[in-house]
Amino acid sequence: MPLRLLKYGLSRDYPVSGDIPATPELKPAYDVVIIGGGGHGLSCAHHLAKYHGIRSVAVLEKGYLAGGNTARNTTTIRSNYITPEGIAFYKEGVELFERLSQELDFNVMFSQRGQLTLAHTEATMRSFHMRAEMGKHMGTRTEVVDQKGVEELCPLLNMDYGGALEILGGLWHADGGTARHDAVAWGYAAQASRRGVEIHQRTEVQGFEVVGDRIRAVKTNRGRIACGQVLIATGGMNYDVALMAGVELPIRCYPLQAMVTQPLKPWLHTLVSSVSLHTYLVQSSRGEVVIGGGSDPYQLYSTRSTLDMKEHLAEGAVHLFPFLQGVRLLRQWAGITDMTPDYSPIMGASPLANLWLDCGWGTWGFKATPVAGKRMAQTIADGRVPDILKPFALERFETFRLLNEMGATAASH
Amino acid sequence: MNRLPPPFGSRIDRSRPIRFSFEGKAFDGYEGDSIATALAASGQWMLSRSFKYHRPRGILSMTGADANALVQLPSDPNVAAERTPISEGMRVSAQNVNGSLERDRDAIMDRFGRFLPVGFYYRTFIGPRRDSWLKFWEPIIRRKAGLGAVDTKAPHRHFDKTHLHCDVLVVGAGPAGLSAAIAAAEAGAEVVLCDENPEIGGALSYGRYDPAVLAGMSSRLAALPNLRVLTGTVCNGWYEDNWLPLIQGNRLYRARAREVILATGAIEQPAVFRNNDLPGIMLGGAAQRLIRHYGVRPGDSAVVLAANDDGYRAALDLLDAGVSVVELVDPRPAGGVGPFEAELRGKGVAIRKGATIEAAEGTAGNRHLARVGIGGSWVACDLLAVSIGQAPAWQLPCQAGGKVGYDAATQTMTITLPEGSVHLAGAVAGTDDLDYAIASGRRAAAAALSRLGHTVDEQPPAAGPRIARPRYVQPIVADPKGRDFVDFDEDLQVKDLQNATKDGYREIELVKRFTTVGMGPSQGRHSALATARIVAEATGRTVGEIGITTARPPVGPETLGVLAGHHEVLERRTALHARHIALNAVMKPVGAWWRPYYYGDASNAEEAVRQEILAVREGVGLLDVSTLGKLEIHGPDAGEFLDRLYTMAHANQPVGRVRYCLMLNEMGSVVDDGVAYRMAEDQFYVTATTGAVARVYADMLFWNAEWRLKVDVLNLTGAFCGLNVTGPKARQVLEALESDIDFSRDAFPYLSGRDGTVAGVPVRVMRIGFTGELSYELHCPSSLAPRLWDAVMAAGRPHGLRPYGLEASRILRLEKGHILIGQDTDAITTPDELGFGWAVSKKKPFFVGKRSIEMRARLGQSRRLVGLQFPAGAGNIAGESCLVLRDGAPLGQITSVGYSPSLERHIALAYVHVDDQAEGSRVTVKCRNGELIEAPVVGHAFFDPTNARQEI
Amino acid sequence: MKLLTCPMNGPRNIDEFQSFGPVRARPDPNATADREWSRHLFRAENRRGVVVEWWRHVPSNYFFLAERDLVSNEIIRTFDASEPRDRA
Repeated sequence: MPLRLLKYGLSRDYPVSGDIPATPELKPAYDVVIIGGGGHGLSCAHHLAKYHGIRSVAVLEKGYLAGGNTARNTTTIRSNYITPEGIAFYKEGVELFERLSQELDFNVMFSQRGQLTLAHTEATMRSFHMRAEMGKHMGTRTEVVDQKGVEELCPLLNMDYGGALEILGGLWHADGGTARHDAVAWGYAAQASRRGVEIHQRTEVQGFEVVGDRIRAVKTNRGRIACGQVLIATGGMNYDVALMAGVELPIRCYPLQAMVTQPLKPWLHTLVSSVSLHTYLVQSSRGEVVIGGGSDPYQLYSTRSTLDMKEHLAEGAVHLFPFLQGVRLLRQWAGITDMTPDYSPIMGASPLANLWLDCGWGTWGFKATPVAGKRMAQTIADGRVPDILKPFALERFETFRLLNEMGATAASH
Repeated sequence: MNRLPPPFGSRIDRSRPIRFSFEGKAFDGYEGDSIATALAASGQWMLSRSFKYHRPRGILSMTGADANALVQLPSDPNVAAERTPISEGMRVSAQNVNGSLERDRDAIMDRFGRFLPVGFYYRTFIGPRRDSWLKFWEPIIRRKAGLGAVDTKAPHRHFDKTHLHCDVLVVGAGPAGLSAAIAAAEAGAEVVLCDENPEIGGALSYGRYDPAVLAGMSSRLAALPNLRVLTGTVCNGWYEDNWLPLIQGNRLYRARAREVILATGAIEQPAVFRNNDLPGIMLGGAAQRLIRHYGVRPGDSAVVLAANDDGYRAALDLLDAGVSVVELVDPRPAGGVGPFEAELRGKGVAIRKGATIEAAEGTAGNRHLARVGIGGSWVACDLLAVSIGQAPAWQLPCQAGGKVGYDAATQTMTITLPEGSVHLAGAVAGTDDLDYAIASGRRAAAAALSRLGHTVDEQPPAAGPRIARPRYVQPIVADPKGRDFVDFDEDLQVKDLQNATKDGYREIELVKRFTTVGMGPSQGRHSALATARIVAEATGRTVGEIGITTARPPVGPETLGVLAGHHEVLERRTALHARHIALNAVMKPVGAWWRPYYYGDASNAEEAVRQEILAVREGVGLLDVSTLGKLEIHGPDAGEFLDRLYTMAHANQPVGRVRYCLMLNEMGSVVDDGVAYRMAEDQFYVTATTGAVARVYADMLFWNAEWRLKVDVLNLTGAFCGLNVTGPKARQVLEALESDIDFSRDAFPYLSGRDGTVAGVPVRVMRIGFTGELSYELHCPSSLAPRLWDAVMAAGRPHGLRPYGLEASRILRLEKGHILIGQDTDAITTPDELGFGWAVSKKKPFFVGKRSIEMRARLGQSRRLVGLQFPAGAGNIAGESCLVLRDGAPLGQITSVGYSPSLERHIALAYVHVDDQAEGSRVTVKCRNGELIEAPVVGHAFFDPTNARQEI
Repeated sequence: MKLLTCPMNGPRNIDEFQSFGPVRARPDPNATADREWSRHLFRAENRRGVVVEWWRHVPSNYFFLAERDLVSNEIIRTFDASEPRDRA
């Protein structure tokens, strides 16, 4: 039995940890104002405080802590992308996850059980080979497996031999995994606030005071804050918040839906994802099977669920695992994703000198929570963008230096 | 036996006994019994072990909503024992037990609760090593997690889906729903009334009400042909524009209703005190359902905890069922006399007011209730019926936009809906008295009818007082020793919620996420109200400020099978499919289409492909190209239209000529290619790649919605088939067929098209050259394609004509360096990167993508698609997708590679650095096994670089 | 399933339609600076409010315009492209 459980058992009172301090009064000014109290914003706050000694930091959250896409995503963590720039960045993200529970002294339950993406067409197999070759070159564990390999990794799959959706092979990414999304945010929040970062829940940004090429102050529903540097990390609200500062981002918002079954004894040990069926499944450590897929077909800022998407995801899940017919669904939900034209994020500088962007995370942001926070903190502390982030600059849309990750993003996020 | 004589037991048929087993032991019940009621009738009250502490659990609500009564069937996990009918030979077992239900080794967890405070797993299991969680702790947790087990060999079951349309959908056939449905139908509306129970009536079917009320409504209902009743049907969600899934067994009705009346009733809430989870402690409604529906006596000796009339009614029902009621405890302060008090006292029941149950104790191992603590002393009993409060069934109303509020005076949750097409009636609207419920149903019907345009003659009855006197007094008696459960599904106690707030999880959504309260099978039905009250008290706010978490669909559990239904995968076959099969083709799916991969013996695929290539290069081959996109553009602006869409010039294209066409998107990236045959001044026939045609067609229509040119676009992809006759002897084959087309070289030159008939089949023929050989592509109506195929095959026989498949086609085109869109191009490929400057008009003022490729050319280009050739007999060949490196950095990739029998070596197309594009440059390629090899850059057209063969 | 009222075919389930996104201004490609051109290509109308969008009724291949609220998802009106547009 771990020592801490013994401590709990022997102490008379509940050992209060106080992870999230109650929201304090707003001060008139902070060195850094982080807009968005989700995983990315909190991660940045933690890195600023712990590694750069910047503790005059306010994290502003419109609702409750980490209640946006941090709480709604299906927690896929992976680095099997297409572009070398993307792979290098996400690979660092996976490596940070491998140490994250120790870093935060909070169990984020990083469960690196591997991700198996399935190909039902030769075109998909070809794209898998591209990702595998690039992934291997960049030092990730990404390989193409044949039908036998798929059967060994996931023996319960319906291979549909001879059928129109025969599984021809897969992309096996041993580095892939999941983590407990809330725990990541709470762990960062606890660490950051222990070092003096202030977390302000129910604090909504309503505008900016822009003077020349700088933001002088942030206007909120609780008052005005003068600021040194400002970071936007507001997920589905990025377009709106940036626009308040006069910055127009190439982003469109779409709902992304997911659903979860009742808890079952473990039977699915890897993440399984099908490109053709637009469906992926993963079983959480609670035993629930989380099922997700593609985005909604039209722009919308709403977290309503639809029956159509639920039926579609059920079709995919039952096709892959026919014995799931009798398994019961518990809940469905949605998040608002900020999609970029090339399915890569926008990180780094903005047209304003002290406004920094951590935006355009679409459907793929959770896995980057540690690395985006670390690198954006470095950017803010140094006042310049590190090499690893440079390819993700907003200007890439003016120079056609797109980082096209659509093929590595559409089915599993 | 706990079975009561008739008239108790409305749902069971005593003439039909059924035998089944539970935990390996035989039990008897009757048809109509659910698993839980048949077991209860035989004295088996324990149904499950709880999620975390493995405490014995039994019937709580009889609604099937909570984890307490989930059991395992061989092929069905997490089955609601309270609602699932028994059948002969059914094998039922408990789930989430280590050993057996009776002897669960994990029951020891109940003693270690203090070591496992709320959220303990976030603070432990971290070390000692970086992968300790993955390798050591998680496997232990995973084994303990979950409830039921899936049967991976479960037999396939049939599900179906259908649609249902109505003027008014009424959800819930209790008194309010019945009165609403009758009122709406009597006014002439098409009405559907659904209820999850097997009978109508709701509380009227099991509560202590005058049977004449239900009988009267039943007969009125039966006389209404425009009122359709769906019993055993769950309305499991509300979606935009009144789209509601109704689940009846294995069928999903997707219902569209113009108006919806939600009469979903209320959910009885448990009381919170130490050991409030023991089997034998149940809600009053559960006891009444056992008695009236199933004829099961819920206990021998009962205490009733009642804070409303329903509790008093339940006490009287228990007496009628032969249960000795020891005492009725009413937590409301003394004063005022309710309608049933005198009757109860007259039957010798002691009533204690202003008191509550403070704790309970169980028999050995907490297997059943033994006694309850009231006012500091213990009262022995084996049944505690709890009727202390209700929460309106908020799930459907909230999905439909309703807002939950809280009335502190009566400790009641309230729901308000915005004005619109969804209406509330009965207990969900806060009017739970029978007369008021019936009146509120009629009021809701009147509102719906007036929105539908019906004239409502009768003035709807006025709203009654919501609640006459307090009836919702939910006692929360926190116990220092715990086991005062708020959420039975998740084994959460009062202190767990309090402790979460101490750690800063003060918002209700954070409390939920940190403690998992409300996340189990019952989704907060029995915990949301108590949770809000506990969190409010712990954080110094009001219950209204705390609120409840978002109610998401589905309302109750639903199987993936019923959602998936009878799913068919979309498949397309060309009109020549049967011909390919007859010729022993190996078929493969390409997108939605099935296409011949090669013909002949699968054991010698390589040889078959080689022979097919040989036939094309030296004789003649026949390829089914019917999957190609085929579009026809008509109208006076047809030429202008193509000029704007494609990069080459088409407006000036002579009639009878065929031109390559290349399509870009606005970004200047290549998205499709094909050929355009000008059939007349105002008519083009254009091909598109198989995978892109749907998008190309839609884009054409979209652009023209903006341009408003005088053109029509027809998608003939399915209507027409295409046969490519190719090879040096192609002309001889066609000339052997009866035709009005002159196939001679001079009359029908390369890149021209002709209409006519071949073998009596009307055709459009284009001379194009994907294979690099003399080629005629014959397109004809799909219904006539088999005839044309047979004729060509017959005419070709003397010339050794061979049908060939996709694999040979790919090699043939690769030998010519022809690109495949999507394989040799990606989302950012420009014509320049392909060396396709020749295909881009420099003269046209506009075409889609023109502005962008000019800008991109100025920004500079970094890569170029070139041919690579590997030396004959090379040991390691780089496969498709292998990286092209420059100074160790990945610069490009191989996009196509194959062995060319004509050249007797491997050839490839690859992106290389723009500085390496010259013929003779050498590039480094990283093979799949990591070996670096060098390959020389060669021209695109590996075979017959002067293109002499296709123009003969 | 949400309903969308096609000006030609009446109210139909929204899965019969294909969204082509908000109507975009079409700058003259030959009179637009590079920076403005790339903005035209990549920027997207995404304000929290009502937008005018292109929709296609797939079975009939009819393209029309709809005013829709991106927050509430309410479709305010649908109309043929030849009709005057209040917004955009």
